[in-house]
Amino acid sequence: MSERTESLRAIDDGDAFEAVADKTMSRRERYRRLFDRWVLAPGRIIRGDVRARIGASILLLYALVGLFGPRLYTEPEVNQGPRSITPLSEGLTHPLGTDNLGRDILAQIIHATPSMLQMIVAGGLFVTVLGVTVGTTAGFSGGRTDRVLSLLTDIVMTIPGLPLIVILAALLEPQDPVVTGLVLTINVWAGLAREIRSQVLSISRHSYVEASQAMGLSTPTIIVKDILPNIMPYVLITFVNAARQVIFASIGLYFLGVLPYDSVVNWGVMIDQAVSGGAMHVMSLAHWLIAPLAAITLLSFGLILFSQGTDRMFNPRVRARHSSTTDTADEPADETTTTTGGGIR
Amino acid sequence: MSRHADAAPTAKTQTRSDAILTCRDLSVEFTMDRGTSTVLNGLDIDIERNEIIGIVGESGSGKSMFASALLDAVVEPGVTTGTITYRPAEGREIDVLDRSDDQLQQLRWEDISMVFQGALSSFNPTLKLRGHFVETLEAHGYDVESGMERTHELLSDLYLDPGRVLGSYPHELSGGMKQRALIALSLVLEPDVLVMDEPTAALDLLMQRSIISLLSALREKYDLTMVFITHDLPLVTKLADRIGVLYAFELAEVSGTEELLRSPRHPYTRALLNSTPDIESPLAEMQPIEGSAPDPVDVPPGCPYHERCPLATADCAAVKPAMEAASETHDVACHYWERVPDEIDLTTEVSR
Amino acid sequence: MQQYYLERTLQAVITVVSVMTLAFFLLRLMPGNPADAYRAELIQNNPQLSQADIDHRVEQKLNVLPDAPLHEQYINYVAGLLQGDLGESINEGVPVSEIISEALPWTIFTMSLALLLSFAIGISFGAIMAYKEGSYFDNGLSVLSIFCNSIPNYIVGILSIWFLGYQLELFPTGGRYSTEMEPTVGLLEPIQTLAFLGDALWHASLLILSYTVVAAGGWALRMRGNSIQVLGEEYLRVARLRGLSERRIATRYVGRNAVLPLYTALLIAIGFALGGSVILEQVFTYPGVGYYMIEGLEARDYPLMMGVFLVMTVAVVLGVYIADLTYGLIDPRAQTRGGDHR
Repeated sequence: MSERTESLRAIDDGDAFEAVADKTMSRRERYRRLFDRWVLAPGRIIRGDVRARIGASILLLYALVGLFGPRLYTEPEVNQGPRSITPLSEGLTHPLGTDNLGRDILAQIIHATPSMLQMIVAGGLFVTVLGVTVGTTAGFSGGRTDRVLSLLTDIVMTIPGLPLIVILAALLEPQDPVVTGLVLTINVWAGLAREIRSQVLSISRHSYVEASQAMGLSTPTIIVKDILPNIMPYVLITFVNAARQVIFASIGLYFLGVLPYDSVVNWGVMIDQAVSGGAMHVMSLAHWLIAPLAAITLLSFGLILFSQGTDRMFNPRVRARHSSTTDTADEPADETTTTTGGGIR
Repeated sequence: MSRHADAAPTAKTQTRSDAILTCRDLSVEFTMDRGTSTVLNGLDIDIERNEIIGIVGESGSGKSMFASALLDAVVEPGVTTGTITYRPAEGREIDVLDRSDDQLQQLRWEDISMVFQGALSSFNPTLKLRGHFVETLEAHGYDVESGMERTHELLSDLYLDPGRVLGSYPHELSGGMKQRALIALSLVLEPDVLVMDEPTAALDLLMQRSIISLLSALREKYDLTMVFITHDLPLVTKLADRIGVLYAFELAEVSGTEELLRSPRHPYTRALLNSTPDIESPLAEMQPIEGSAPDPVDVPPGCPYHERCPLATADCAAVKPAMEAASETHDVACHYWERVPDEIDLTTEVSR
Repeated sequence: MQQYYLERTLQAVITVVSVMTLAFFLLRLMPGNPADAYRAELIQNNPQLSQADIDHRVEQKLNVLPDAPLHEQYINYVAGLLQGDLGESINEGVPVSEIISEALPWTIFTMSLALLLSFAIGISFGAIMAYKEGSYFDNGLSVLSIFCNSIPNYIVGILSIWFLGYQLELFPTGGRYSTEMEPTVGLLEPIQTLAFLGDALWHASLLILSYTVVAAGGWALRMRGNSIQVLGEEYLRVARLRGLSERRIATRYVGRNAVLPLYTALLIAIGFALGGSVILEQVFTYPGVGYYMIEGLEARDYPLMMGVFLVMTVAVVLGVYIADLTYGLIDPRAQTRGGDHR
């Protein structure tokens, strides 16, 4: 029965995960393992899957543009070039041409990127934190807390996202990209919370968690040590879902003029101005319309490729959920993957 | 080096009296990135008419491949070579591995039928049991009405309530009921041979026992030949007339059940018997088999068991032992089969 | 089982009431409190009206009693909603429910067509892709599906208006039907009815196309995943060994088992489709419910906006509710499960 004492000692050591595999572990070994799990393993996954690789490259491109682009490329200004010229017509001075006010199109694309990324990161973090908190709390505490949180989750999942966002946008008129990001992802956390709750319920039946509880470890410790690593795939997928919703909704609402703006802060604003500037009717203005559409599509494509690639690798369960086919009855709006019927829900 | 190197009077040259299935040099290979994986390696075995033969092996010994090969149903991209000859009671003998798709469709289920390892997931979850029987009868052009009468009888023989079972969806039945219904489904076209791959693996002990006794009764009533493939040696001894022991994709020993239990001749068979948990014998006497079975890509030359065998010599590592007849009804592939009973004690006793 | 139905029903009711509560508070928080704005307008235009008259008119308009205590206002509001009283449109001067019931058929017409079309296309291609898993056909269509599914549908809309509408002039760029067309639907006038329906379809075709292109990609990917899973199931291998024809296996085995889990997703998508029409209808200036939501927002016609929001939410609640109640009848695998998931 030495094995049991070994594992108990390891749990006491604060490392329930490695308990089964190893008897003693040096601090360095533990750091190496953490590094392996959180850095190397995802890296390998990304390298090993074509989709994930392409997706990651696209995302990296946008991140670089968002971080350094505005410093390297001139700001869009009225009359910085001739009006309404087509791409490459003046060499590389205005590579994507200009709009009807003589503003450089590429400059508009680039300078709208940072706020988009800020919205995405803000929305993604907000959704993740809220979803994980509600999900783990509900799953762990059970009883009345669980019932209330689950009901709340179900209700939020039932409210159609886009109309709610429209109303909130009109109500709050957010200007700051971070606040806008939160508003645009107001309902996304619920899917994650529900997924995490059911994960917690199934994981907490595993022996190592029971062992942790038997050892008298506090609930937060157990959550951090035992539960969180197992729900990483869902977090990742939800982050991507949130990002997609930020893109879809922000472009749409800026395009409609529901979100307020004072300069060209978003590709949706570009589309709006292009449409009202006559780009639909005049072929020589088409670049004005197509440039922001391409920027949106590529980013969204990159996100979904990245998520699908990693989803498949992370999660061997995805294609082996025979039993859970019936779960859809009880979990109707459950969207683990990023493919949806039609965009924002 | 050839398997047939030292051609002493070997077992395979004796053709048995009335074999319904004869396998010769039966092999299954998978071509993979890291080489060719041989998951069944030159099996020679005769299956007698109306016998129950047990094929025993640990997981990864090739026993499921053997089951699939008997119906020429090895999954892609596996390649089955050698010959399997099927001799129906009337009519000409049939080369199983040399049939067209249409002929195979006819052979399977009508002549040789199978009960799968995954019995619990062998039914279409969205189709009632009745549908499974009817569609099988229809696909083979059998008369559905008389076929369903037979189905009722089969289900009753298996102590199931035909009306209830046929009107149920698979998930509405318990594991044991599903397993018995699957046996009935495999017999609905009146086959001669029933191949069962771990048919009781997912069931509890009590249910295992009762299915074993049902199978004996079915054999008598329907003149069946049964091939019972399992990892569970004590279980199969309760049922089988003969037992073949598979080790590392080859047959180590084939013998009548009594004789195998009384004096096993292959060191692996002995180890297998000694590692059998037995409620009646003390825990200390149980001996796990040290080491692990060889990789199918890299099968060592010589005897496949030599790395784990206490009697192994340099000879064992170099020369593959041929099947030799230890008695009329007992074949064994070991260079030292005559010494084995004196060298390796049997610590546990398995009774029938 | 009974408890399951009871739970689902209760949940649906709670959801609807919660959303009504949310609507009540959001309405009061809206910038330039609509009640005050309307009251000011009334006083300015009708100086002769008494305070009580003004209060009465405001209440009629907004379904809000401006001076009553909060809880009374709330009860009054929710009670009104439950009787189908969504208030009165500030700009149009007619009940919101009237505007919505006039616009709703158009949205249901376009969205259900688009949804069914995308579902049919998606599951057909998804199944074929699964059968040919790993082939060029599968890889090509998978990437195409992912690509389609990653574009917002209103962007497809803008592109299709630009290209097929303005540049090639093949399709109208907005509106429900041609101005010279007399809206006719009746069995007694079959020719006019057909002509009208054809014209309406022609006007909606780009909108339907935009939704379909994006959604079909999603359905195809889901169906592909489900089918691949079924193709790997033990029962499929057994069915082949039992000698069943490939056709029966494709329909009764693969098709049925792969499509059934999508049934709930489809019902819920129907519910969400109304909400998804918001931007799309604006792009196509197609006066459905989504169009009126943005119109209401831009004109600060909050009762209209909130009314549309409530209708959209109720659609989702209904979709989910029907899915919950009927899934057991559709998929036998779900029968033994009740509301035991919590």
